[in-house]
Amino acid sequence: MIGFKLRYLKKIRVVLSLLFFIPISILFLDPRNGIPAAVSNFFTALQLIPSLTKLFVFFGWMTLGLAVVVFLTLLFGRVYCSTLCPLGTFQDIVIRIRKKIHKRKRHIFVKPAYAIHYGIFALSAVLAFLGSMTLLNLLEPFSNYGRMVTSLVEPLVTIFNNISAGFIGRFNWYFLYKVPLRGVDLNTILYPLFFLLLIGYLAYSHGRLFCNLLCPAGALLGLLSRLSLYNIIVDTENCNHCGACERVCKSNCIQSDNQKIEFAACVGCFNCISACPTGGVSYARSRAPMTRRSADKFTASRRKFFSELITPAIGTVFYPLAATDSTTTATSGYEASRNIPISPPGSQGINRYSSLCTACHLCVSVCPSQVLYPSFLHYGIAGIFQPMMNYTASYCNYECTVCSQICPTGAILPVSIEEKKLVQIGKATFFKDDCIVVAKKKDCAACSEHCPTKAVHMVPYEGKLNIPELNNDICVGCGGCEHACPTTPRKAIYVTANQVHAQAKKPPTKKQEDGFDSSKDFPF
Amino acid sequence: MDRRNFIRKSIGASIAFGAYTAGGSFDHLFAESPAAIDLVAIKGGEPDVMFDKGIEALGGMKAFVKKGNSVVVKPNIGWDVLPERGGNTNPKLISRIIKHCYEAGAKEVYVVDHTCDEWKRCYTNSGIEKAAKDAGAKVVPGGSESYYHEVTIPQGKSLKTSKEHEVILNADVFINVPILKNHSGTSLTLGMKNLMGNVWDRGYWHRNDLHQCIADFATFRKPHLNVIDAYYVMKANGPRGVSIDDVVTMKAQLISTDIVAADAAAAKLFGTKPEEIQHIQIAADMKVGRMDLDKLNIKRIIV
Repeated sequence: MIGFKLRYLKKIRVVLSLLFFIPISILFLDPRNGIPAAVSNFFTALQLIPSLTKLFVFFGWMTLGLAVVVFLTLLFGRVYCSTLCPLGTFQDIVIRIRKKIHKRKRHIFVKPAYAIHYGIFALSAVLAFLGSMTLLNLLEPFSNYGRMVTSLVEPLVTIFNNISAGFIGRFNWYFLYKVPLRGVDLNTILYPLFFLLLIGYLAYSHGRLFCNLLCPAGALLGLLSRLSLYNIIVDTENCNHCGACERVCKSNCIQSDNQKIEFAACVGCFNCISACPTGGVSYARSRAPMTRRSADKFTASRRKFFSELITPAIGTVFYPLAATDSTTTATSGYEASRNIPISPPGSQGINRYSSLCTACHLCVSVCPSQVLYPSFLHYGIAGIFQPMMNYTASYCNYECTVCSQICPTGAILPVSIEEKKLVQIGKATFFKDDCIVVAKKKDCAACSEHCPTKAVHMVPYEGKLNIPELNNDICVGCGGCEHACPTTPRKAIYVTANQVHAQAKKPPTKKQEDGFDSSKDFPF
Repeated sequence: MDRRNFIRKSIGASIAFGAYTAGGSFDHLFAESPAAIDLVAIKGGEPDVMFDKGIEALGGMKAFVKKGNSVVVKPNIGWDVLPERGGNTNPKLISRIIKHCYEAGAKEVYVVDHTCDEWKRCYTNSGIEKAAKDAGAKVVPGGSESYYHEVTIPQGKSLKTSKEHEVILNADVFINVPILKNHSGTSLTLGMKNLMGNVWDRGYWHRNDLHQCIADFATFRKPHLNVIDAYYVMKANGPRGVSIDDVVTMKAQLISTDIVAADAAAAKLFGTKPEEIQHIQIAADMKVGRMDLDKLNIKRIIV
């Protein structure tokens, strides 16, 4: 009787997963960037690893989103993996396509490689504690999904949008508008492409293997699900060993012969319940989860895994940024300044930012100015793929704080407009000899024109010419000057990163005299 | 009056008469026909009211916009700042110009600019997008290179080609509506400088003698009407401005078909000699328009 009602669980799961999958995809795609920060934050708050990162940002204050995920898992097991996780739903879509193509292909029980899975998770966690996001960034599901969408799908949407806008533009309609295509960097597009192929292949041929082998979120939830109140269990009285449940289990975690379920590997898709013809698979409160006995076994192997892997890994994967500090001071100039990335306002500094960002690229996707750009190894291996400011592409809008409002991990903390206007993320450097005014003896001032604080201002030079002068006390490092500087190939004015963001002084203001009297005649 | 004096005076009068008529139409002497007015200067009112008075003196918008014309109104929407900061053209003025165009029988009015800051934010925060849409105009995006198409500038010295926005290329009537303000690169930004928003690659201009390029482009794109907004005037820290302290309320406006004359008058209004703005001098030398304000027929209106 209960079994009949439980059949709805799968349908509920499918509906819920789409209710999260579609909006999350749109967050990364929206060419108009019109989604309010609150909506964006609602969806991203429920992403496990980003929310967990926030736990450290706010010194142990658990965010509501994280609390919800933990609570759900303690109640129902890893339902997160089949509803809230966009990468999980993506795999489900691949699996569904596979089902249409290879109707006969069946899932067979595979003993989960807990040791490897938990080992990878432990390593990711230890590295993250030490400040290296390398493994998390390579494996974290939300961020990988975000990067795949931002790097691979968003350009296609932009191209489609631009073709449509161009077409309707012929009729002088402009309700759709063309959006500049973000430059594609091979270094940053290769990994999303590789990951797409990997996840596609794994899902197609092995179901949810990624979730039970590589995914750090899956490992953590798996550990939590060992404590969960409700478990999927085989009702030995009703079960007739037909094996229908095992065949539809995407996690390959049902052993129908032995009537056993590895619940720690179960992603909560409820396919088994719907597939069972006799009501032999049940979802019930369980005081003694089936997998408890096996749980003790891999504690030992996990320990072994640690000792074997972590020590050398710290040396190789964890790549302290401090090493790059010394080179900053040793060399200077435009080319050298390119080697140190500039982190966005609100991130407080390169090391802090780099130790918290999971590189989901949501900020890259929503930045209206398109100044935020995926990095490759600019932050070191520790900060692989984390976004940085790209002043060749654009500059940071003085009045904009969008990235700080939507960052799911807290790597970029929320800042108000007024706060942001005083955050100095870098400082301008002026290389006089390359300046148009010196080189060509002609007026230019593109830099000063764009400077929102007049840290770059013009002072008399030879004859009637004016030349830029810097007041770095009030420079915010927005990159307006660098972006506008017309010299090629290298800029005569450019921004050098502040390792730790500084406080800029408020630009001085002088009330202009109202020297116009309306009763007088015109001056001509 | 003795004979000698009479002759002297009548010769003087004839010379004056001759000079006057030679310079323009005979009408100047008797009544101020709209066609004879080189420049209208208005002050003391709101931007929309001043425009009403000014365009009336020029014979109404019908003199410029014919029935069925498509019109482009080109404000300065360069920066992501609010209207009172004087960084962008006054939205009230844009709105009123659009209304006059439609009343004159325009088929469609478009508003466009290639902004400096991110275009969507500029369009919104300048208040111009809303004002223009409310007045019935189509607000045209300018943030993508593919909207811009190559044009050649036959008389250009430094600027031989440039890419101009398609909606301007296709329009029957082009109305240039800059705002008068201080500018770190060109001292002031005025009518001719505003035409930098017609094109895509401004970097080229900055690299290759900015003043010459500005004048070069003015030889190619001659607006049918120039309306210089001098209601809020940014006196320092231009063109973007740092704070509201940079702005004074001048409550003035200049309207002319001659872009050089409008710019020269605006420079004087600002308190600068027109000949000190290099591109005004260059454009006058290239015969784009006239900067000899004392020889022009200026209609002055106090609202």
